[in-house]
Amino acid sequence: MSLLGWCQWLEHTSFATAISESVWLFPLIEGSHILALPLSVGMILMFDLRLLGLAFSTGLAARMMADVVRWSKFGFLIMFSTGGVLFMTQASKAYGNGFFRTKLLLLVILGINAAVYQLVLYPKMAQWDARGGAPLGARLCGAVSLVGWIGVIICGRTMAYQF
Amino acid sequence: MTTSIRSFLDWCSNTETIIYIRDSSYGMPAVQSVHLIGLTVLLAAMLVLNLRLAAVSMMDWSLPAVERQLRPWALGALTLVIASGMLMFVGNPPKYLANAAFLFKMAALGLAVVCQFGVLRRFFLSDPGGRARPLNIAVAVLSLTLWFSVGWAGRAIAFV
Repeated sequence: MSLLGWCQWLEHTSFATAISESVWLFPLIEGSHILALPLSVGMILMFDLRLLGLAFSTGLAARMMADVVRWSKFGFLIMFSTGGVLFMTQASKAYGNGFFRTKLLLLVILGINAAVYQLVLYPKMAQWDARGGAPLGARLCGAVSLVGWIGVIICGRTMAYQF
Repeated sequence: MTTSIRSFLDWCSNTETIIYIRDSSYGMPAVQSVHLIGLTVLLAAMLVLNLRLAAVSMMDWSLPAVERQLRPWALGALTLVIASGMLMFVGNPPKYLANAAFLFKMAALGLAVVCQFGVLRRFFLSDPGGRARPLNIAVAVLSLTLWFSVGWAGRAIAFV
């Protein structure tokens, strides 16, 4: 089955059609997807500002990271589950949409960026944390995250206008 | 008074920029993207601040320090959501003024701003240390409920 064929099949499952046809379920899921932005992306952006030296530069970055990640996990759980359901209801339209494809590409880049931070830069945090300023690598990760997530929001909002 | 406001809004709605934003294929998505980026930063700042007030997050920072660090970002984001919101509103004032969700949103926004930056401000400026006082938790819950109802009411504008 082609990818587009799979999208069409997904869209016509009884689960997907029940949601698209429901008067209140679709707005509720879409609203949850948008209102989970502050708890997921927003929390990460706060930490990006810390890495870039634009906020909270007085405290330990490692402690702020732990605090922020703990809460953003709930946000991303809502984000990815509601996003998955929204995709199911409009899979074939999303498949052909340039903004949706860009959004997915950005999410992959952001995933790699987060993995690099966790595996390479996180273990070295204690070394620079006491001195305050983040090294170039960490700042770069923060900048990629900041720009990438803003791009995801723009693509997400714009794609819905083209459906 | 009312007539002059109405004619001012009419004039706004008919300026080239506003017509472009309303009717072009990328005008509204661009303005709404800015609105959502502002919402994300503003409500994240409110989450961090109120979670600290309830003593469940950011315990390495004092509450006044968290408030001081977040203030410029919260106020900047508030400016962004209000400015982008006004661009949407002036595109079609009668449509919004007749929308119950919009009116509720404006009332909730006013109340949230007055609570957060006004009457409840002393809670955010005083330092409760590491203790979670019941009153502080109640203020945090009230404040976050207000901010998120503004968001939900905004989403509802398109559906009512």
